[in-house]
Amino acid sequence: MKQRKSLWLLLAPMYVFTLLFVAGPLIYMFVLSFETRAETWGVIHEFTLDNYKNIFQPVYLQTFAESFRLALTSTALIVLIGYPFGYFMAKLSEAWKKRLMLLLMIPFWTNSLIRLYGWIIIFRANGTLDKILMGLGLTDAPLKLLYTYPAVVVGMVYALLQFMILAVFSSCEKMDWSLVDAARDLGASPAKAFLTVTLKLTMPGLLSGVILTFIPSMGLFFIADILGGNKVVLVGSLIQDQLMKAHNQPFAAALAVVLMLLTTAMIALYKRVTHSDELEGVL
Amino acid sequence: MKKSRFRPSHIYLAVVMLLIYLPLVLVIVYSFNESKISSVWAGFSLKWYKELFSDKDLFKALWNSIVLGAASSCAAAVIGTLGAVGFTRVKTRTKGVMEYLSMLPMMTPEIILAMVFMAFFSLLGLPFGMTTLILAHTAFCVPYLYMLVRARLIGMDPSLAEAARDLGAGEARVFFDITLPLIAPAIASGMLLSFAMSFDDVIISLFVTGVGVNTLPIKVYTALKTGVTPEINALCTLMLAAAALLVVISSVLGRRKGGGTR
Amino acid sequence: MKKWISLALCLSLCLGLFAGCGASSSSAGADSSTPAASGSGIAAEPVKGEGTLNLYTWEGMFPQDVLDGFTAETGYEVSYSSFDTDETMLAKLEAANGGDYDLIIADDYIIETAIAEGLVAELDKTKLENLGNVNPLYQGQFYDPEDAYTVPYGAGVMTLVYDPSLTDVEITSYADLWNEGLADNIAVVDNYRVINGMALKVLGESYNVTDTDTIRAAGDKLLELAPNIRLIKNDNVQDDLLSGEVAAAVMYTSQVTLACLSNPDLKVVYPAEGVGFGIMAQFIPSEAPNADAAYAFIDYILRPEIAKQCFEWLGYYCTNAAADDLIEEEYQSFLTLPDGFDSDMEMIENITPEAEEMHMQVWTEFKAACE
Repeated sequence: MKQRKSLWLLLAPMYVFTLLFVAGPLIYMFVLSFETRAETWGVIHEFTLDNYKNIFQPVYLQTFAESFRLALTSTALIVLIGYPFGYFMAKLSEAWKKRLMLLLMIPFWTNSLIRLYGWIIIFRANGTLDKILMGLGLTDAPLKLLYTYPAVVVGMVYALLQFMILAVFSSCEKMDWSLVDAARDLGASPAKAFLTVTLKLTMPGLLSGVILTFIPSMGLFFIADILGGNKVVLVGSLIQDQLMKAHNQPFAAALAVVLMLLTTAMIALYKRVTHSDELEGVL
Repeated sequence: MKKSRFRPSHIYLAVVMLLIYLPLVLVIVYSFNESKISSVWAGFSLKWYKELFSDKDLFKALWNSIVLGAASSCAAAVIGTLGAVGFTRVKTRTKGVMEYLSMLPMMTPEIILAMVFMAFFSLLGLPFGMTTLILAHTAFCVPYLYMLVRARLIGMDPSLAEAARDLGAGEARVFFDITLPLIAPAIASGMLLSFAMSFDDVIISLFVTGVGVNTLPIKVYTALKTGVTPEINALCTLMLAAAALLVVISSVLGRRKGGGTR
Repeated sequence: MKKWISLALCLSLCLGLFAGCGASSSSAGADSSTPAASGSGIAAEPVKGEGTLNLYTWEGMFPQDVLDGFTAETGYEVSYSSFDTDETMLAKLEAANGGDYDLIIADDYIIETAIAEGLVAELDKTKLENLGNVNPLYQGQFYDPEDAYTVPYGAGVMTLVYDPSLTDVEITSYADLWNEGLADNIAVVDNYRVINGMALKVLGESYNVTDTDTIRAAGDKLLELAPNIRLIKNDNVQDDLLSGEVAAAVMYTSQVTLACLSNPDLKVVYPAEGVGFGIMAQFIPSEAPNADAAYAFIDYILRPEIAKQCFEWLGYYCTNAAADDLIEEEYQSFLTLPDGFDSDMEMIENITPEAEEMHMQVWTEFKAACE
């Protein structure tokens, strides 16, 4: 019993910090979502459900759908590119693992906006890509790729790929490879061994990667702004507009609450579909 | 472990890596552009570097960002690691709630988080400045640490720690001698990630910062609004160079260390 | 017992870490203020101002020479904090209860709100010797009808610019943007009141109508424009015009200046329907810690030769009548308003929440339709 109590001390910082500086602000947000906006600025402390009713206007519902579509597309691509990368990386020698890890981290230490500007240089009319394609004779006019949906997807994948790689890598790295060898010895084909052993064992990493990429991609509106010319309206940009343009804090808060509930529901669904004990390490 | 030799998978790794670095290379190239307008190449010039170095505020902002990143990733490392280790040992009903709560900053769009952080700090009467910045940044860094350490702990063999405990080792001894070395890589990558996230955050910083405490991303973001891009490109190039230098130093040191033990 | 001690050690370790972080934070905070304090201590000439001017505005509003010159002459160090949008500024100012900052430069409409919220100090005009230099055209506007709180800085109009080499359409009005020949070829600023306002103007309405049906009608009109829109953004729109990404753009004055300086063949159009007009003005917050420094700065940049430097750097219309003649030839046409213009101008003002909400809804629909 005594030992139990002492162990609680380990958890104390997390409890204190989370309750004070995470739960506190979020409760404030929750309360805000039921208040009324003031004439031009600020809020009036009057209870209302209008903010939530407002969300059911077709244009705002469509925004949620659009965000989901983009997040799904990007996450799917990130899994396709990032999983093999993390998997292959885990098979490298220790020295190369370290080198690759650092190479993956270096871009993070620069500025994410600047990295997107690099893509603008590539995509824009008569930019790098156009010059290469036209030089090869594959196209004869600028493609006008910038400010299109595919450009936004590329930006999303680019911004979040590393999260997937790191998650998959760390889970592949601690995997017991002898289990794969055992499966092969028992006559499983490489594909079958991969599907039944490797994939299953690295599922926690894969799923944590999915969560690490899917959730932020709902909010990364600046990528849609910069590479998509602001034409793909995401929930994030809607909240931004409501806060910073329409001065409607309560509606913005309501949108954020709904977004949070949706992501929560998704995570719960994941836990239900894939057996929850497998997900334990993730959430 | 087999000695790593060339495999087709290496081509894949190289190609993806190239794509990751391609935009950065272009940013570097355009930092030497004579023209202020990024769509015109007007010849090679170092003038943006000159302008960069004459900007005192920028270096102050850089220092602020480093302090902020270091402080919040340290704080997040302590909270996240102890939390993850604690939850493997203590069975409590509040575990799920706590995990969920600490994860929420990741699920909330930055802009609204920024707004409520600002309102909340103002409610508490905390003066805006480095302290509020660190608190806010720690809040969004904790989930990364917690998740990475937790993922590592899950796959760990618990019998090691149990054996140590059976042999009479104290909790602290078990933690420092057995658990910590095993989860150290996860803590390290979590801290690196946290530092990077903090080093790159604009929106939240913009709202919770105080008078005269500009961070580097705030400077960059607000400067991009007025379109002085080549100077920012130059800054980015220098940051990359610094990061690359750190990598080289650490790998040289690592090799020397490795050589010594062999 | 041993466990207890080790746990206590563990806890003190993390507390220490926290304390370390806290300490580093407070010292960093002190760092940022000490250079200012010591700076004014070193500049020990008599009758000089003491302390720091906390300036809060967009990035890049003043050439460094002007800021340095101000410090050299008056002794006030300048601590420049930047915001991204007017709304960030007001939110921060409100959280600081009108304190923390000495001088703020922001857009007209937000200043009206700030005044209404009681966050702005009334100006003591006896402290501003050079106030007479201000061009009266930019005074007495809606946000401050008596000029009691503000001094204008830059002014701008929403301008249409197009590259005749990229399109055959001749543009003279907003209505021309609806021309099918401009499909996927227009950039507009990310400002919903301006762009919705464009449609309102085409329909012959005012920017500031509050009737939601009229705004809805403008929204429907705007949906017809969607196929022509290639991008919506606030920053650096001139780059897209110069790189040939778009043939026409609706831009802010400073962007027009930049674009035309790089490509003199661009055509600048003041739309036939009338133009939207805005002013960035300076004001002193109600609880400014160092209002004297703010007065000194306002007065300093009101000097014609300083104003000239500022406006050539900024690229917005010069609000300083005494500086108009000093501005270099190459900038003249960009920094001073064309003659006979003021009659068609209308400013965008704050409107009712219902109208605001309708604008936002219409705007969201428009953006989604552009994809």
